[in-house]
Amino acid sequence: MPVPLYGFLQGDTVGLLILADDSDTLEALARKLQLAASLRVAATDPLRLVYHDKIMDLAMTVAQAGLEALDRFDVLSGSK
Amino acid sequence: MLTREEWLPLARKLDWDYSYVREDEVFPEVISGRPWLPRSEWKDWEESFKTSYREYVDNQYEKDMAVQAVHDAVGRIENVEKLALPWLNSLKVHAAALPLAEFTGVIGNLRGARFGRDSAWRTMATFGALDEYRHTQIPLLLFHPLLRLDSQFDWAHKFYHTNNWFAVAARHFFDELTVGQNAIEFHIATNVVLETGFTNLQFVGLASLARESSDHMFERMVTSIQTDEARHAQIGHPVLATIMKHDPKYAQYLVDKWFWRNWRLFSILTGLSIDYLTALDQRPYSFKEFMEEWIIDQFLRTLDEFGLEKPWYWDLLLDELDIYHHMIYASAYSYRATLWFNFVIPGPAERKWLRQKYPKYWDDMDAVWEQISERWRTVGPGSANELAVHGTTMPTFCDLCQLPLSAGTPRNNTARVLAHDGRKYIFCSEPCQWIFLREPERYASHKDIVKRVLSGEAPAQLPNLLTEYFNLTPDTWGKDVHNGDYEWLGVRKDSAA
Repeated sequence: MPVPLYGFLQGDTVGLLILADDSDTLEALARKLQLAASLRVAATDPLRLVYHDKIMDLAMTVAQAGLEALDRFDVLSGSK
Repeated sequence: MLTREEWLPLARKLDWDYSYVREDEVFPEVISGRPWLPRSEWKDWEESFKTSYREYVDNQYEKDMAVQAVHDAVGRIENVEKLALPWLNSLKVHAAALPLAEFTGVIGNLRGARFGRDSAWRTMATFGALDEYRHTQIPLLLFHPLLRLDSQFDWAHKFYHTNNWFAVAARHFFDELTVGQNAIEFHIATNVVLETGFTNLQFVGLASLARESSDHMFERMVTSIQTDEARHAQIGHPVLATIMKHDPKYAQYLVDKWFWRNWRLFSILTGLSIDYLTALDQRPYSFKEFMEEWIIDQFLRTLDEFGLEKPWYWDLLLDELDIYHHMIYASAYSYRATLWFNFVIPGPAERKWLRQKYPKYWDDMDAVWEQISERWRTVGPGSANELAVHGTTMPTFCDLCQLPLSAGTPRNNTARVLAHDGRKYIFCSEPCQWIFLREPERYASHKDIVKRVLSGEAPAQLPNLLTEYFNLTPDTWGKDVHNGDYEWLGVRKDSAA
């Protein structure tokens, strides 16, 4: 089931509307955002996904992580 | 026969006691504004210009003739053709944003002309409405004929009649400021905050920018408009003084709210023009320097004059001077086909200048421009590659200001999600959320572009969104001024594969 989300990639100048599937892993979701913002921000690894101020397990799916339509998530680069 | 000194005070102060209706029926709070006060509290309302209609017409005639003379001398298409390309695109921004916004000012002033609480106020608001009608007609007269030079100038008439995302944001702002506003809030928000705080001084700055860019037509136009603004802006001051006396918290709220709303829109209109769409050797100052010298200092003096406090978000606003319009410009460049004017990439010399003027966050912005430049190097310059250097995923917008979620910094975007009455909203910043929560009934039902797409009201595919909903065509949508053909990129069009 499609889930529209507000994605913010660290280093970018604008938030993007990312259409996720609830079965997507959070890693796939983060990669979607990196690709969508690649005109402005070079994709780098490792990446981290933050939702409700928590760093999430990238192996979880969108549904398992509890992301709902029009929620915000952030993708940060670097290993800190 | 009465002398001017004898009849003018009688004509200006022509209030009377009502015999068969109540005063609150003649001036209902819902449209005259709050707090509702009896006429005795407004009878000393005064302004310094004290103009008669005849004097008004004589003065305006002289000003119109001066604009016409400059137009005849230097306003022809062949003169405009000589202007630098980036500046020409700054003109397209103002050609679209200015005239019909001024027309909404006619409506707001006419509300004051009927529902203002003192006859001298109503007289001045009548002149204010005539002023704003003039400010509609002059730019339409000067800019719209330029569509023979460039079809993007068609947006002088078209802009406010479209659902282009920037038009949606501008309408959201001006409809609340003027069209749907009561007389008290209109005159405080428009005369004190917008005109005294921003446009009166902004037009002085824009005139100087136009002069540096050898655009004497635009210089004359904004100078002429500014002289009207300086007069009718005086209406708001005695209104604010009266509200401060009776409800200072409400007065503070109105000033805080409208300064923020004005800042959002004008940082884009003026910030982009000064720091990106004016040739480097013609920039008399940076946008931040302009704001500090012309807007911030003056606004603080106005607050002091009325016994008002600085808005609670003041430190945040000062921080935004360093970054907000830069984030908007880079975002807009990468979605330029959604707009009706063309963009330029800041080259090495411009970026060096921007780094000097904006050292605080420029490293992050420089990385963005380097990445965009690299895309042009990869695909090569040329109009056929425009959309290869363009965003394809839907950008997002604030549910209050309707502008892109480009606040904060590239490292820390300040967008915030709010659940309210069973719906989710997103705001670019804390002040936008604060304004929403003070008057949710006013804003809650408005849909931003993303919500319109998700509800099926607007097309989801970018090409359809541009042509069917934003009223753009491949000829008129925004492009890179040089189609990516910059010497400093190291890949010229002739040598590109």
